[in-house]
Amino acid sequence: MQGNRACCEGALAAGCNFFGGYPITPSTEIAEMMALKLPKAGGTFIQMEDEIASMGAIIGASWTGARSMTATSGPGFSLMMENIGYAVMTETPCVIVNIQRGGPSTGQPTMSAQGDMMQSRFGSHGDVATIAVVPSTVQEMYDLTAKAFNLADRFRVPTFVMSDETIGHMRERIIIPEKVDIVPRKPLEEGKLPYEADEDGVPGFANFGSGHRVHVTGLTHDERGYPDATDPEVHEKLVKRLYNKVESKRHEIADYDAVNTDAEIVFVTYGPCARTVRQVLHDHPDEEIGHLNLRIVWPFPEDTLKRFPNAKTFIMPELNLGQMAREVARHTTDQKVVSLPKLGGYIHTPDELYAAVEAER
Amino acid sequence: MSTRVFEKWYREDRLPHIFCTGCGNGTVMNCAIKAVDTMQWEIDDTVFISGIGCSSRAPGYISTDSLHTTHGRALAFATGVKMANPDLHVVVFTGDGDLSAIGGNHFIHACRRNIDMTVICMNNMIYGMTGGQGSPCTPVGKISTTTPYGAAEPVFDLADLAVAAGANHVARWTSYHTKELTKAIETGLATEGLSFIEAMVQCPTAYGRRNKLRNVTDMVEWMRTHAILLQKARRMEAEGVPIPEDHFTVGEFIHRHRPAMGVRR
Amino acid sequence: MKLIIDEQRCKGCNLCTTVCPYNIFQEGRKLNERGIIVPILDRPERCTNCRLRKLYGRQLCGACQMICPDQAIYWIDEDPYAEESVVIEF
Repeated sequence: MQGNRACCEGALAAGCNFFGGYPITPSTEIAEMMALKLPKAGGTFIQMEDEIASMGAIIGASWTGARSMTATSGPGFSLMMENIGYAVMTETPCVIVNIQRGGPSTGQPTMSAQGDMMQSRFGSHGDVATIAVVPSTVQEMYDLTAKAFNLADRFRVPTFVMSDETIGHMRERIIIPEKVDIVPRKPLEEGKLPYEADEDGVPGFANFGSGHRVHVTGLTHDERGYPDATDPEVHEKLVKRLYNKVESKRHEIADYDAVNTDAEIVFVTYGPCARTVRQVLHDHPDEEIGHLNLRIVWPFPEDTLKRFPNAKTFIMPELNLGQMAREVARHTTDQKVVSLPKLGGYIHTPDELYAAVEAER
Repeated sequence: MSTRVFEKWYREDRLPHIFCTGCGNGTVMNCAIKAVDTMQWEIDDTVFISGIGCSSRAPGYISTDSLHTTHGRALAFATGVKMANPDLHVVVFTGDGDLSAIGGNHFIHACRRNIDMTVICMNNMIYGMTGGQGSPCTPVGKISTTTPYGAAEPVFDLADLAVAAGANHVARWTSYHTKELTKAIETGLATEGLSFIEAMVQCPTAYGRRNKLRNVTDMVEWMRTHAILLQKARRMEAEGVPIPEDHFTVGEFIHRHRPAMGVRR
Repeated sequence: MKLIIDEQRCKGCNLCTTVCPYNIFQEGRKLNERGIIVPILDRPERCTNCRLRKLYGRQLCGACQMICPDQAIYWIDEDPYAEESVVIEF
């Protein structure tokens, strides 16, 4: 099954019932597949006039209680940023799939890259905290897309599936589980204010039409949802709560693989580069090469690095000029972080990675 | 027994609102609420959506579910809401800049798709909330902060635009003509498909102050005298009588039954 | 019925004064505590709604209430000529 199709199937299994999108290579297959399958599953598909409208439509749909999603690539991602910030501020759950391609600008529409990783966290203006999952196989495309809906609903934050053209367009066998765990959003209780958070920092969700008469606004608002843009305390409280509700749980939701935890030289990967590293480990089974593959990249779970207590060097192959290497370097004290960028559209070869290991010895 | 205007529809704890003295937005809000009330819609089934601007602050004062979205994108959000749950009644408040400048694309597509909702555009011919910059609807020669030498660009006729793009019901009135405006909004709410009501409103603070119409009554008088009924304008054109400058047409521009989207079948 | 202008909401725009078909309002002269000059009722006996609402059972005219941008105009039940009764206790 193609990666994009697996993403679609995972979404449908998780209960996605609204898709508003705009075609862009290499994510068009997701839109096409959704156009075919959603109406049969009782959902709604609409092709919007641009990515900004797509993001707007899925936020609007989410407020009626639908599990909504959209799929795009680099240029569309940049367009969506304002409304992504709006979704963060209004705490609207939604899933955005970004099948990354060569950038910047129109770049390489049909080649792979991972150049939007920092953008998925810092792309919108202001201090936002979002969640990004990164699949490295077609099976993970299915599983992680389904998981993204649960994460979005749990934290009431837009969740990104940061895939790329390699995984999106490749075909692999996958196992489709009988049933996918669906954890719906917590409803707003009677008597509570629309933006009054519980202990976990997340308020209950009140659908339009449920009788709570919520006023949703992108302006700084108090617990009643009413705009209060000039009070510094209200703003600080709100922004910090939105930030901490995600960041404080980064270790709880961390999803990763740690192989050969005693190694001194450790590869830290996310996405398709993991595949090459797995090949290197397969080719050199007696050597102690560690591998940390992150499936949830934002909020960044720095404690996973500690799972490799003997690590002296972290090697990070990425299809960008070292975006996540900065994040890892930020959290390491005495270990060396080697960034292995590869631009151009193809993933690293096992020889290139092994040469990097040799260079560190 | 007190008869405050539609008290169940207003969030009384939020009034008095932030609109300036004599702002036409308050009047249009009254007309819209009266129309919604006449339709006997339930408060819980109605959703007000707006963009950014003075006009778009209105849903914050109305006690229904409301969505105060990003600048110009109200129609995209409204499309999402209506398509995901066609049982909700959707009304969109927007302004002239919000709709025709940054939201122009979403405007023409919403009209083309003919989504079943009502769009009320409060056209004060300026960007009011941010201090008085020119908008695509600022008449030629008028002063605003970004057109200090008089606006040089030709003006958008929003009602004509909506007709051309395919909306099912299009009307334009002013905030002086409250009765006609209410009736037009009511017809729009009852019509399946996109209903576009353009309400010319007075902005004495941003527009009026710079264009010799600072007094609220003066500006409303200006709107009253410069509005020509559509049928009269067409008659004048047919007879070859030129329509005086600065005048604008009011009335119901079109009422048709193109197929609509977002209707529960 | 008696017409009341809510002084907490009125912003002194005088649109009611302009549109009333019976000219019952007049521009006020004094500033109230919010700094607004609220219109005064010059000839309230000419207000159709005040006089005839009870008779017809529905809102009449109401142009001022509709045009008021601040939702400041409303009517209350009041018969200004009701006889006042006095209770005498011994």
